[in-house]
Amino acid sequence: MKKLMEIKNLCKTYVIEKRQNNVLKNVSFDVEEGEMVGIMGPSGSGKSTLLYSVSGMDRATSGSVTLDGKDITALSEKELASVRLNDMGFIFQQMFMMKNLTIMDNILLPAVECSKSTESRKEKVARCEELMRKLGIIEIAANDINEVSGGQLQRACIARSMVNNPKILFADEPTGALNRQSSAEVMDEICKLNKEGTTVLMVTHDAKVASRCSRVLYIADGNIRSEYRTPEGLSDRDRERALNNWLLELGW
Amino acid sequence: MFLRILKKDIQKKKVMNLIVLLFVILASMFVGSGLNNVLTVLNGTDYYLEKGGVGDYVIITMGPNSIGALDDMLSSTPAIDAYRMDNVVYGSKDSLKKGDGSAIESKNVLLMQCLEDSTFHFFNEDNNAPAALAPGHCYVTGDFMAKNGLSEGDILEVGQEDVSVRLIVDGRLKDALLGSTFMGNTRILMHKDDFTKFSGSEKIAKAYSGQICCIDTKDVDTVDKAASGCKNISLAKPASTISMCYIMDMIVAFIVLLLSVCLIILSFVVLKVSLSFTINKEYREIGVMKAIGIKNRKIRTLFLTKYFGIAVVGSVIGFIASIPFTKLLLSSVSKNMVLGNSLGYLLNAIGAVIVVIVILLLAYLSTSKVKKATPVDAIRTGQSGERYSKKSKLHLSRSNKLGAPSFLAINDTASSPKRYISIVIAFALCTLFVLMLVNTTNTMRSEALISTFGTKSDLYMTSVKDSMEIMGSTEEETKAFFEKWEKEIADLGMPGHVALECQYGYNITYNGETTRVICEHGYGTNFEDYVFLEGSRPQCKNEVAITKILSKKLDIKIGDTITIDFGSEKIDCIVTAYYQSFNQIGEVIRLHPDAPVENTYITSTMSFQFTFDDHPDRKTILERQKILKDHFKNDEVFTTSEYVADCIQVVPTMETVQYLLLVITIIVVILVTILMELSFIADEKSQIALLKAIGFKNGRIYLWHVIRFGIVALFAVLLAGLLSIPMTNLCISPIFGMMGAYEIDYAIKPLEIFVIYPGIILLATLLVASLICLTSRSIHASDTANIE
Repeated sequence: MKKLMEIKNLCKTYVIEKRQNNVLKNVSFDVEEGEMVGIMGPSGSGKSTLLYSVSGMDRATSGSVTLDGKDITALSEKELASVRLNDMGFIFQQMFMMKNLTIMDNILLPAVECSKSTESRKEKVARCEELMRKLGIIEIAANDINEVSGGQLQRACIARSMVNNPKILFADEPTGALNRQSSAEVMDEICKLNKEGTTVLMVTHDAKVASRCSRVLYIADGNIRSEYRTPEGLSDRDRERALNNWLLELGW
Repeated sequence: MFLRILKKDIQKKKVMNLIVLLFVILASMFVGSGLNNVLTVLNGTDYYLEKGGVGDYVIITMGPNSIGALDDMLSSTPAIDAYRMDNVVYGSKDSLKKGDGSAIESKNVLLMQCLEDSTFHFFNEDNNAPAALAPGHCYVTGDFMAKNGLSEGDILEVGQEDVSVRLIVDGRLKDALLGSTFMGNTRILMHKDDFTKFSGSEKIAKAYSGQICCIDTKDVDTVDKAASGCKNISLAKPASTISMCYIMDMIVAFIVLLLSVCLIILSFVVLKVSLSFTINKEYREIGVMKAIGIKNRKIRTLFLTKYFGIAVVGSVIGFIASIPFTKLLLSSVSKNMVLGNSLGYLLNAIGAVIVVIVILLLAYLSTSKVKKATPVDAIRTGQSGERYSKKSKLHLSRSNKLGAPSFLAINDTASSPKRYISIVIAFALCTLFVLMLVNTTNTMRSEALISTFGTKSDLYMTSVKDSMEIMGSTEEETKAFFEKWEKEIADLGMPGHVALECQYGYNITYNGETTRVICEHGYGTNFEDYVFLEGSRPQCKNEVAITKILSKKLDIKIGDTITIDFGSEKIDCIVTAYYQSFNQIGEVIRLHPDAPVENTYITSTMSFQFTFDDHPDRKTILERQKILKDHFKNDEVFTTSEYVADCIQVVPTMETVQYLLLVITIIVVILVTILMELSFIADEKSQIALLKAIGFKNGRIYLWHVIRFGIVALFAVLLAGLLSIPMTNLCISPIFGMMGAYEIDYAIKPLEIFVIYPGIILLATLLVASLICLTSRSIHASDTANIE
């Protein structure tokens, strides 16, 4: 498989009141095309910082992050914004949406801003509708964001993240704010997208969610301590059990 | 713990607290200076005339035997409580020269008198009594110094008949009686030794002396009737009429007053919006505090303590800032006047205290939500989850041409218009004032008002010397005078005719009451050119028109018959029409051309009018203006619009106030833009971070914010532009009405009110919004992780 992302010696240090806090310490790992990689770890271990540094939302202190052969740590703010718009998708734990827009317009917004395709507005709308149909939220297209459930909103966020056909989808605790039913539905959609070829890098503390990833990285004290490849051919319950056993070995 | 929460709150919400603080400073500044200005302007001329010692009724005598002309009337009228008398010597601009021998400019008659013996109170630039004069020194009143480019220490040569003195100018003084734009007479106030040289001359005493008598009375009408029987009267008016002469200054003052009231309203609106906004932001904390068991009363006290602290700090700063702001607002009004109130800056302090009280009240009302908030609100970040109202008004999917930033901006304003109301009110109100002033100033320097001064001609020439010559000449001499000038202009290759609008003082009798009234009669003017408002144009010598002001004052209506004593004969005249005039504050009668007027009754004249036979275009008129200036060696040759502006006099002041108001408006617009844009950025932090996270460049986010502010500002200034036309009519027409003109065709310049001035305000808004939205650069895509 082709390497989509290559992270080498990534460090992130925060200086708060002259006190250095090394959140990431020489983190290195790769993400292959079509993979679904989970990042787990205790609170404060640096999971979210890693995700934000890798996705270019935050600047790493040192190290390199290569996306499809392009070192994104060397890019300007403007270039990084273009990469985020055209090549990356984001799902957050809080279902952030633009308050004054309908669900449809929230999903359409990045597509309108994106200049990589020559599609007309009508074609972009049609693509959004197709995506919403696929995620089962077409009936809420005209709704305001406060008129839908959390699960529907998170699926709308997924649709927004996928609207520009990104090379990679970053998810920060995508089910963290959802109930069990909605969590399962959202994870089904993410897995479906992954199966259709979208690479996913996801932070989670939920073993059930992580067990659906093909690979899980365990991060503690700013370092990747261990890596787990989910065995193929197991049922969902067995995959979860196997992952839990691995986590227990790591002291989870 | 209470204090710790408070301290943390102040540290954590620096930006929001700073925004509220800035609004409080603005509010205290506006309320403080607004209150002071309102009271000062309302006191206005009454305060000034009282301070100036004008009394209740003023009589000015002029000409041969004028000294002592009032003595009998003063002693035989019991209604007179007390009176003060000043002796004066009259002069024209030919009586004065600058130290270097060059001529001086003065449109009206000049008065010379002794400062020490004067019963009037004059004021220097600082509104204090002037220092005593040394022999050989003088003060001058009004705008004489500015008009003639004189400064302190310059020399004036004053000569009349056989007396001549050289005086060093010690400065300019404010004159309550004659310093108004309507009166516009300059007084040369000199030392007793110098004045005695003039008053001691027999020649001067015979022809150029006069008296000013200020009478204290409770019965102005009786004194008015008594005065109508006196001779040599140049002016006999109650203080209320003298006060009306400051109407032009009061237009400016009232605009300042309206501006102050609006600034007060504006500051409270903005304050209410910002307080509600910040307290909404604290909804979550309220929920958390309730969840941990803190009582409603304590939570409310916490917020009230915080806002009390901010209010006190802001009000103190605002009070200090309001002092120079008050002076700035009143500076253009108080050029000719002494404005003030007995309370001084105590009013500014009262304003600051009011702001503190209002803030506490607003904060108390806004924190009523504390009762409603449940601990669950903390979990739901203040959202009750029960809002089902549709928010988005537009659809990106249906807006084919709009880019994302433009769509977001338009949709925001369309979806939450309430959020932008305070900006619209602030911008529209301020712009409206500027535009009302622009419309008024444009009208005052347009040809639209010429009918209120007389008839329209091609050129006008002011010459006090020639006017005085007419006043002293016979009918034949006058005819010869005009024929001579008409021949002169024909010889210059511009044949035409010369006319002069004259005012005559006649006693009129109606219902057995006799009153002295100024009657207007044009020499050589075309009677068809006069404009009448109601009724029919007078057709013969026993028909007259009357102004509505005089009609109201004397209770004379169309159809009534009045008796006019023309000196040579008394004629019963029927009032056939109403007309409007700015002359004599609108208290005049228009006579028919055949009326038996005599020059000896002329009290004043307007400017000489030149109407050319060949109906020249504007360019030719301007060329002829130069030719006339050279021919008559007189710089005071005006086109119609220049003449109107010269008659009204207040145009330069109005222009100054207009620019001052524009500057104040821009400052208010800048402050409101800064504060509101900072509020928007703080409120939309999560949305900005989200847009950045999904790949929006900084520039596109700036564009969203700038377009949004632009839309709101554009709406506000266009609204102001549209409102400015009816509002000018509504607010300014009554002021013109007080001066005698009821029907004004305002000179509305669409380019100025819809493009230039709104454009300036819009440009300032866009510029400031562009700069302030740069602060959103500090919000990063990664902040999506930290936003609650």
